[in-house]
Amino acid sequence: MLLIHCPYCDEDRAEVEFVYGGEAHIARPLDPSALDDTQWESYLYLRRNPRGRHHERWRHTYGCGRFFNAVRDTVSDVIETTYKAGEARR
Amino acid sequence: MSGYRLPAGGRIDRSRAIAFTFDRRGYRGFEGDSLASALVASGVTLFGRSFKYHRPRGLLAAGVEEPNALVTVTRGTGRTTPNLRAPSVPLHGGLVAESQNRYPSLGFDLGAINDRLGAFFPAGFYNKTFMWPRSAWEKLYEPAIRRMAGLGESPTTRDADHYAATYAHCETLVVGGGPAGIDAALTAAEAGGRVILIDEGEEVGGGALADPGQWAWLADALARLAAMPNVRILSRTTAFGFYHQNFIGAVERLTDHLAPTDANGARERLWRIRAGEVVLAQGAIERPLVFDGNDIPGVMLAGAARTLALRYGVAVGRRVVVMAVHDSGWRDALALAEAGVVIAAIVDLRETVDAALLAAAKAAGIACHLGHAVTGVAGRKAVSGATIAPGGTGAAQRIACDALLMAGGWTPSVHLWSQARGPLRWDDSWGAYLPDKSIERVRCVGACSGDWDFGGGVAVAALPSAKPAHQQKAFVDYQNDVKSRDIELAVREGYRSIEHIKRYTTNGMATDQGKTSNLNGLRIASEALARPVTEVGLTTFRPPYTPQTFGALIGHHKDALFQPLRKTAIDDWAATNGAVFENVAQWRRARYFPQGGEDMHAAVARECRAVRDGVGMFDASTLGKIEVVGPDAAEFLNRMYTNPWKSLQPGRCRYGLLLREDGFITDDGVAGRMAEDRFHVTTTTGGAARVLAMMEDYLQTEWSDLDVWLTSTTEHWGVIAVQGPRARDVIAPLVEGIDLSPDAFPHMAVREGRICGAPTRLFRVSFTGELGFEINVPADDARMVWQAVHAAGQRFGITPYGTETMHVLRAEKGFIIVGQDTDGTVTPGDAGMDWAVGKKKPDFVGKRSMMRPDIVASGRKQLVGLLTEDPDEVLEEGAQIVADPNQPVPMTMLGHVTSSYWSATLGRSIALALVRDGRARTGETLHVPMPGKTIRAVVGPTVFYDAEGSRLND
Amino acid sequence: MIEITPLAVSAADLVVGTAPVSGHDVRLSLAPAAARYSLRARDPATLAGVIGRALPTRIGDMQGGIACLGPDEYYALLPAGERVPDGAGLPVSVVDVSDRALGFVVEGTGAAAAIATGCPLDLDRFAVGRATRTLFETVEIILLREDTTRFRIEVWRSFAPWLWHALVAAIADR
Repeated sequence: MLLIHCPYCDEDRAEVEFVYGGEAHIARPLDPSALDDTQWESYLYLRRNPRGRHHERWRHTYGCGRFFNAVRDTVSDVIETTYKAGEARR
Repeated sequence: MSGYRLPAGGRIDRSRAIAFTFDRRGYRGFEGDSLASALVASGVTLFGRSFKYHRPRGLLAAGVEEPNALVTVTRGTGRTTPNLRAPSVPLHGGLVAESQNRYPSLGFDLGAINDRLGAFFPAGFYNKTFMWPRSAWEKLYEPAIRRMAGLGESPTTRDADHYAATYAHCETLVVGGGPAGIDAALTAAEAGGRVILIDEGEEVGGGALADPGQWAWLADALARLAAMPNVRILSRTTAFGFYHQNFIGAVERLTDHLAPTDANGARERLWRIRAGEVVLAQGAIERPLVFDGNDIPGVMLAGAARTLALRYGVAVGRRVVVMAVHDSGWRDALALAEAGVVIAAIVDLRETVDAALLAAAKAAGIACHLGHAVTGVAGRKAVSGATIAPGGTGAAQRIACDALLMAGGWTPSVHLWSQARGPLRWDDSWGAYLPDKSIERVRCVGACSGDWDFGGGVAVAALPSAKPAHQQKAFVDYQNDVKSRDIELAVREGYRSIEHIKRYTTNGMATDQGKTSNLNGLRIASEALARPVTEVGLTTFRPPYTPQTFGALIGHHKDALFQPLRKTAIDDWAATNGAVFENVAQWRRARYFPQGGEDMHAAVARECRAVRDGVGMFDASTLGKIEVVGPDAAEFLNRMYTNPWKSLQPGRCRYGLLLREDGFITDDGVAGRMAEDRFHVTTTTGGAARVLAMMEDYLQTEWSDLDVWLTSTTEHWGVIAVQGPRARDVIAPLVEGIDLSPDAFPHMAVREGRICGAPTRLFRVSFTGELGFEINVPADDARMVWQAVHAAGQRFGITPYGTETMHVLRAEKGFIIVGQDTDGTVTPGDAGMDWAVGKKKPDFVGKRSMMRPDIVASGRKQLVGLLTEDPDEVLEEGAQIVADPNQPVPMTMLGHVTSSYWSATLGRSIALALVRDGRARTGETLHVPMPGKTIRAVVGPTVFYDAEGSRLND
Repeated sequence: MIEITPLAVSAADLVVGTAPVSGHDVRLSLAPAAARYSLRARDPATLAGVIGRALPTRIGDMQGGIACLGPDEYYALLPAGERVPDGAGLPVSVVDVSDRALGFVVEGTGAAAAIATGCPLDLDRFAVGRATRTLFETVEIILLREDTTRFRIEVWRSFAPWLWHALVAAIADR
């Protein structure tokens, strides 16, 4: 079980308190109607699946309740860093 | 039958005799014995039958690595555990143990015929022999093999025990209570942090327990640890798995070492430990040697014989031969001789050995045969002699003996280290893999790190022999009956990777996970492949280190505590009043209330008629509820739901449809606007948590500029639906502060006031198509209000109804149940609910997807009504629908029935279905093929009753 | 065949105990009724003004019966019947959730160990005056440390019977 640093609580907490939220930094288009089908498909379905550094969302559901971002190595499972939602990609 | 109790020595208490049974025969041992030591002391050599060939097997080891001596222990009804390793079973009064995999008895086993037919069971025999005909595999081969091959039998009665679990945290966790582990624990404890020391044995001490010279130190060290408040010692505890970031799973055995009459409380406790630093002190496991006859009872590891003699005061035989390729065998032989065990000879493959050892052996009167190998073993159920030859191929001579000890060198126990992804390096002097450079916050100490003086040796694959490998019964993996020739065969057949060789031969795949076989298998494969060991690879170490019970893994989640069963505040009333329940998500809900022996059909028909003709009441408390509050509340809902929300006036309600971003329906519910900046939103029962999480996701990560907050109020409110033409009459006398007249309080409105003195949010809504109210009251008041409504309704014949009636009533009205009439691929258009979509809204979740090519394309499945031609025929939900019943299989499926009921109101069956281009098929007769018949049904609208909705607005 | 013997107690029969349960070093009891509010605001000062009470400033702190659970979230545990203004029209959210949860009191020298049977927090590092949402096994709870040897657990009412009996089992197996 991972130990995840919640950037809001500023504590390391057990993975069971968190829920995984998929790839990070995929903003919902401000005007979806302006997108063509290919662009919308890309937003809706296409995700990276890197070997190595992966930016992903987690939510401290059973804690402060906040979504935040993490950089996790998909090979070692080591979480390099976590940061608050809205902060720049690391 | 040659093992015996030595006149002195060991850590057993000879003043406390313990009676037990093995295979229904009585034996006696002493306090401090293991089952294995007590049986060996009683002269038992035959402990079990092997997995595949049913060969007689004796004790090999003195620890958890034991592959042969597996027993089933029974501690009363529902307390049977198979596959326990005899050296790890502590003796207690009344212990009942049985051997395994034999019929009719251990001594005379019919399955032993497999040994004679061994040529037919080479590596991969499952794959090769039993592929054809396919059908015979399930019916013939597999059952037969399962009967003949196997280990212990699974118990068939319910586990009578219960299990505990806990989390724990420490700065230092030490795994292994031998001298190195104890030293590490003492050092860490003196530094002040919290220390947990885990040891799997009956007694903490590891190898020191078999070394009387260390006993005084051991007692002192353990006393010092026990006196430190920051130290917790967990004995009888196995650290079975190493998980991320120093998270260790361990199982503590709490009662199995006690006589059943003394065992109270949980049987085992699962420890989930998070440690700052993990110190692995797991020791090393001695390797057997591979030679013809190396599995005959009486052939065992030298270190095990030493442990039996010095820890338990048991001699393994009256005349013992040691076959060594390592100095530790000499040391063990000398220790045994000193303890009074007769050592007939030491045989060593090496031409020269340490001069001091040689001199000591000679001084002890032990014959020494250097440069020799054992090439054969006499005996079947017990060793009677060993054949040795110079270099394994020279002139053979026979030595009479009743025990043959193997000293093949040592394999450090790097199991947890490897699970922690610690790197390994090959060490030639150990002939094994050792932990390489350190990893963060995990380190190895003692023998498992290679830091231990066992002396020197040579590492060999199989002992040399003049006999060709394919004629030898030289076992590598005892538990899975894998011989050296099986591995050579695998290599001949083209397998190159050790992972493949492992799976083909099953070497290392038994319950012992190859603790004694992996390294020997690797070496034999390496020689057969003519490649260095390091190029052949190493199989992966995986949890658990030793088998653990399912009970320990589930902890308290058993029986009534298996998972939470959620009940409403009114549930108790329903139970008292005879409700039949069903589970919906984790909730239990009243399904119907049978009266006077009614079946479900009769009860539901009665309940439905009551709602249509008079009044019924229904516990709707499980509906999800979310309070949406803040200046941007309406804007937020407008973006989430398909419907427009900004125009909704306070005091009014609206049905909301929620899509996922891909355009498919995910939830629905009614929301009431309580104030300009406050909504009371409801969700489906099963969707409550999911919908709240989805809303939080959008709010926090997409629209964090909105001033609005979400609070779950599902459990704050009890909800009582009162439905039917007399609903108003029932509640009117109970309600204060709300004008219930149709003009003041129309359909789809919400008011705040009091009912029976309790504060209420009273919704005028209907999921039945009748005049209806949903009374929301604080949960603590719900039971009181329910009973008051029930009493007030008596003169109108008020009828409590359950979820089944609710389903029928809503289906009559064509109201969907998300998740039943939709399945994650249904759009509002498919469901015929375009009316719920705000056409003028610029955006909402899922809007863009409604223009996706596949969603605007024709041929989508649409929700329609189905009426069977035979009105008494009720379709089965899930049944497939076709246009042409005579089409050969595979038929073209048009869709399926999603909801189907008997409608007492209409006096016939009704159904909803998802059908390709369904609405265009209105009036068309479709077919539902069922076993033995095909049912004809006509497509129609989804609303079967009061299509105009006139009954709602009374 | 697997023979399933009837259970002595079914999940449906579990109810929250009306009498406290004691082990040798830990006691479990039901807390008295309370007023509970979920309080939310981007700006704590606005919220404090609405409710007329000071708010704790750090996530996980408690002050005057109010715990800070998240960056914009507070949980108020007040005497039963006490009301809090709802701040209509202001950028705050005040929601009465008095009946949503039950409170358990776990006290005694074994209290932390009893809670640790199912809670992943390191309770040695969870100081007096701290509060957080967390889990007991699969059930969401709010855990508040009122004293060295006294904790309060807030749990949604439909999960309370399960949690009560899980804690009773933990106490029995200590």
